[in-house]
Amino acid sequence: MKIAISSEGADLKARVGHRFGISPYLIIADLGAGNFEAVASPGSLGQQGTGVQTIVLAISKDVQTVLTGYCSPAARRHLEANGIEIFTGLSGTVGEVLESYKKGEIQKVEVAKIEHEPEKRIGNMGILIDAMRRSCNQFASMLPIFLGVVMLIGLLNTFVSRQFLASLFSGNPVLDTFLGAFFGSILAGNAINSYVIGGELLRYGISLFSVTALIITWVTVGLVQLPAEIAAFGRRFALLRNGICFLLSIPIAIITVVVVNLVIR
Amino acid sequence: MSSVNKENVKELKGKKAPARMFIFPACVLVIYGMLFTIDPNKALMALKTSIHLLFTIAQPLVFVFVIMLVFNLFVKPAQIVRLFGKGVRIKGIVLSVVAGIISMGPIYAWYPLLKNLKEKGSGTCPIAIFLYSRAVKPFFLPVMIACFGWAYVVILTVLTVFASIAMGCFMSILMNEK
Repeated sequence: MKIAISSEGADLKARVGHRFGISPYLIIADLGAGNFEAVASPGSLGQQGTGVQTIVLAISKDVQTVLTGYCSPAARRHLEANGIEIFTGLSGTVGEVLESYKKGEIQKVEVAKIEHEPEKRIGNMGILIDAMRRSCNQFASMLPIFLGVVMLIGLLNTFVSRQFLASLFSGNPVLDTFLGAFFGSILAGNAINSYVIGGELLRYGISLFSVTALIITWVTVGLVQLPAEIAAFGRRFALLRNGICFLLSIPIAIITVVVVNLVIR
Repeated sequence: MSSVNKENVKELKGKKAPARMFIFPACVLVIYGMLFTIDPNKALMALKTSIHLLFTIAQPLVFVFVIMLVFNLFVKPAQIVRLFGKGVRIKGIVLSVVAGIISMGPIYAWYPLLKNLKEKGSGTCPIAIFLYSRAVKPFFLPVMIACFGWAYVVILTVLTVFASIAMGCFMSILMNEK
């Protein structure tokens, strides 16, 4: 049986985290095997959506019980929907709380507490407000970069001549497609920015082959994220995946544009 | 016996996005400020062009927000994890594509979870499919359509889905998986 304990540190001597979603670590204790693992919690970053990632992390670790100081109603709903028991109001060190749980001391107190918690059931309006809040956060998080891109396009439109930008591309569809794929690979960020940049490049006379390759590699190839991908999946996987994605973007761009031209004609 | 997932720790440290996301627009504003002192007329023209572009994209952006809201209401990350990579047969492939398409947020936020799934026995194929099919962004489709038109978006989306499956197969073969 696996138990997740929100924690301020990476060992059993650390204090139990005050909030499940934003504590720096999750201690995953396997009672059967008698060992534990400390995992850095995505929620500790305080970014929007990362609290939910902590929930997903707990689920993906096959945890059956969560022990924490406080768990928000939304997090509690997700965890309980996945068959995970939650015990809140806990303090002390992770080791102490774990021992209390093993002895059954927490269960007697906390189950009663949860049953009397008035916020356990949230109506549809609460779910809608929660979704609205998350959507606003997601939207707001992409807005600064997006506005920066729009303002930069304004500058390019005014200060950089179309002739100059077009001169960066050779006019050869195959070579231009490679160039587009290359720029898309080194640039990173929200996909919405690649659409706006791509749309503007078309106005400058850059070929649709090139713009399509840029849009594809913008999302599928990530030179900026490559170190993180290597750390997660290994060097071989990351290099192969990014390399194939780069090469694959060329035929996809060519097929897309050829089919589009056929359809429009 | 204990272990600390150091790669996770290293990966998550130093990503203070709330502050970092303002660096780029701040740099653009500084460039504007400099240009306003050098050539105010052209800088004003650039600003007007930007505002015009913003108004052009405003309507699709409203749709983007609505689609985000619908996804947040009905799609939960926990469901994505449960959908993801259930075997490598047709059902598993389809579910991996769907999971990739409906997943939101930056890709690096998904790395620890995908890594966990891999450690739990998930193959290379569904992970490669998931990572590629993220190129289909249903909530940004209104902006894409505004920029390139319906036909282009439909064709590219369909091709991307097929390419994600091909990607899974390539990776599975190249990583020497059965």
